[in-house]
Amino acid sequence: MNCQEFWSTIPELGDCEGHRHLLECPACAARMNRHRELEAGFRAVAAGLRRVEAPPRVEARLRSAFRRQTGSETIASSRRWIPVATWAAAFAAMFALAAFLVRERQPAAVVPPVQRTIELAMLQPQADYEGFIPLPNAAGLVADEDDVNLVRVEVPRSAMIALGLRLQRHRARRAFLELAVWPEKEELRCVSQLLP
Amino acid sequence: MTSAPVETDDELLLRMQSGDEEAFLTLYRRRQAGLFRFALHMSGSMPVAEDVTQEVFLALLREDCGFDPDRGTLSGYLFGIARKLVLRHLERGRSHVALDTDSDDYAQPELAVLDDPLLDLTRREGIDALRRAVQALPRRYREVVVLCDLEEVDYADAAVALGCPIGTVRSRLHRARGLLLEKLHQERNPRQALGTLKPVRCVS
Ligand SMILES: [Zn+2]
Repeated sequence: MNCQEFWSTIPELGDCEGHRHLLECPACAARMNRHRELEAGFRAVAAGLRRVEAPPRVEARLRSAFRRQTGSETIASSRRWIPVATWAAAFAAMFALAAFLVRERQPAAVVPPVQRTIELAMLQPQADYEGFIPLPNAAGLVADEDDVNLVRVEVPRSAMIALGLRLQRHRARRAFLELAVWPEKEELRCVSQLLP
Repeated sequence: MTSAPVETDDELLLRMQSGDEEAFLTLYRRRQAGLFRFALHMSGSMPVAEDVTQEVFLALLREDCGFDPDRGTLSGYLFGIARKLVLRHLERGRSHVALDTDSDDYAQPELAVLDDPLLDLTRREGIDALRRAVQALPRRYREVVVLCDLEEVDYADAAVALGCPIGTVRSRLHRARGLLLEKLHQERNPRQALGTLKPVRCVS
């Protein structure tokens, strides 16, 4: 093996310790030593900069940007948020139902001052968005029902995921669910969804 | 009792895209320092590095951020955004590091047989010399050295960040290290180095 072959075949510096060519060729052995010194130098430079990082104001600005983007100034952010959001969606549906049934009254009075997370699911009883897609297992469920009420609620994307509903990747941060409510039977089913 | 497994970047990204602020901040805290230092090495400017770091994560917040896990890791992708932003800064000429040749043929390293010892690169003087030498590298060698040798990004991620094949990462790194050794040698032996300033093209 000549010098050129040696340098073109060694994949990494660390792998050639005790390589025969290095034992036989002082020039390459010297050159290898320089590379090792260089590696040690890189480690020293990196160590000297280990504490260098973006100033805290960057994180603060990004946090604000994130909240602006998600419209989540009031979101209580924690890992427990997803299951809570699931309940929030269910609660919201119930409140929507209540609002629907007692719509003569002030709707605001119906929303109780419970957990902040419930604010996540904004009640949208009058949402008139186009394009709700029926869920596969809900087809025909409400077609000829007389005593069913349809309620549309807005839920965060995480609640949709937690509910096991299909979502396109990297897309909508919120979605709308259409809930069918049978007041007589005290039953509630999600029948269609809309991903804006 | 075992501790909870650390969430991967992809898991954090998914939660972040579901509106989870904590996931976003965890991702930020995990990745910001490396990105900041990369931008700093590349631009030589703290304000630019700060700008770039912020812009990288703002880009990630966009719904059409374009990250595709099938094409590489999130880390490589973030370095790739940082690199593009740094280049934009460099092109505007607002940075402290001059633009330089982009050619892979810029120099042939390993031309000189460097017999005498380098500065001790683990001591102050040597570390400063090495930092200067890295800063003086042509941009495309500087970026690969900063990524792979200083930030210890693996070759696959570096390839994603630089938008080139892994083989190119390896060859640029090899050349970059040769250039650094030559530069450090020149610094140590200014007179002797005069003879090696003009790179000699080898015809293979
Ligand atoms: Zn040899």
